[in-house]
Amino acid sequence: MGYSQVTMRRVQELVAEALQLPIDQVTPRLSFGGIKQWDSMGHMSIMMLLEERFSIVIDADVIASLTSINAICDYLGKSGKE
Amino acid sequence: MTAQIDITPPMTIPEYLIGEVQSKLAYVDESILKAGVDADGGRITLELRVPAAGAKRKNLEGKVRRVVTAMVQGAFKPKVEILEDHLDRPLPYSADPQAELVRRGEMFQESAGLFSLGPLLTRVIAFFESRFVALADSFGAAPYRFPTLIPARSLERVGYFRAFPHSLTFATHLREDLDAIDDFAQHAACGEQGLESPPESFAKIQALLSPAVCYHLYFALADKPLPAGQVVATAVGNCFRYESVNLASLERLWNFTMREVIFVGSRDFVLQNRETGRQRMRTLFEEIGLAYRVESANDPFFIGEFKKQAAFQSAFQLKFEIRASLPFKHATLAVGSYNYHQDFFGRSLNITLPDGSPAHTGCIAFGLERIAFAFLAQYGLDTQLWPEAVRKAIP
Repeated sequence: MGYSQVTMRRVQELVAEALQLPIDQVTPRLSFGGIKQWDSMGHMSIMMLLEERFSIVIDADVIASLTSINAICDYLGKSGKE
Repeated sequence: MTAQIDITPPMTIPEYLIGEVQSKLAYVDESILKAGVDADGGRITLELRVPAAGAKRKNLEGKVRRVVTAMVQGAFKPKVEILEDHLDRPLPYSADPQAELVRRGEMFQESAGLFSLGPLLTRVIAFFESRFVALADSFGAAPYRFPTLIPARSLERVGYFRAFPHSLTFATHLREDLDAIDDFAQHAACGEQGLESPPESFAKIQALLSPAVCYHLYFALADKPLPAGQVVATAVGNCFRYESVNLASLERLWNFTMREVIFVGSRDFVLQNRETGRQRMRTLFEEIGLAYRVESANDPFFIGEFKKQAAFQSAFQLKFEIRASLPFKHATLAVGSYNYHQDFFGRSLNITLPDGSPAHTGCIAFGLERIAFAFLAQYGLDTQLWPEAVRKAIP
């Protein structure tokens, strides 16, 4: 696991905000399609908020791989953007 | 008296969004006859039916800026993937075939975006149709016939109104009211802008003219387990997408015909068949010498959903277009597409696989008028110049 618990919490909060969900519904194991809010529009809302909050530019190549809370945390960890 | 105005957008429009923004500007205001974005994305030029000044101009500029901001701010640059490139095939023709088609009575424009076609175009379309049906047969696709109308409730269920409101074409009828019907019969007349009749004469809209073929199959499969866990079907149908001032020639019709081969099943089943279909089409296009490219694309979502949906389609490689060369304008035209919808329709319409999970869907779609037009733009109207495979098949 290349990221901290703080990153996990930040990502859960960010996903909750992007999908307009209570934080307790955003479990660490949540992934694309796991709940109805995380559909194509929801996914892109998460990507846009990630770019804004972490001051990053996410390549189109990467968007398709960030389909779980874990994958997002991992990406941030590897990018040094925790 | 027409007028032209220049507007500086609130931000530079990146090259990859210029075409998309330009096409959406047609829907900003009824006064717009033509919209253009310059090559560096720093200026928008509108040609208007009547001059706009004062508050009217300010309102117009505000709407244009709203479109640009919604589509450009925070946009993701799409990943362009080219799966095939055969644009360099030698072609014997480089003129615009339209004038000659009109002169020969092969094309008759009834109104914007509505064309009747003559024998030659009909035969060319029939040729391509026979090949597309052969593709469907190679998958053992079951033939279907679908209505031209599509229920409003069904389109709502798959979010069509949010994604493509600008291109909808509504069907209605007079209210069941003797006074309204009598009044219409006596006073209905067509003015320059269309039928002049009180809006209250018409019933609430229950149906629209169908924008796609495959939706009908998904609606037929809704709310039940998928028979045998998978379906391959094919159908041809009239489709309707209103494109405002962008309607032009056979390249962009309001009413066009689409042949689709549709796959419903597991993810692997749909993706594998989509790829197999592409390989089989490559053989056909080679045989008839079509100059084309297959590249990643996105659907023309409206402004509100464009940014997210288009980026999603691009990132997940959901759509690839067959873009045929139009030598007379050094451009390409989408004549077909290979589409994968993931489990969007399965979830939205509750179509389930034997294990209870939502079904995945995909389709291979061909625009019949467009492919015939592209073929004639590449090979002309002199049948002696046509590839042997086409010449032999068309009497």
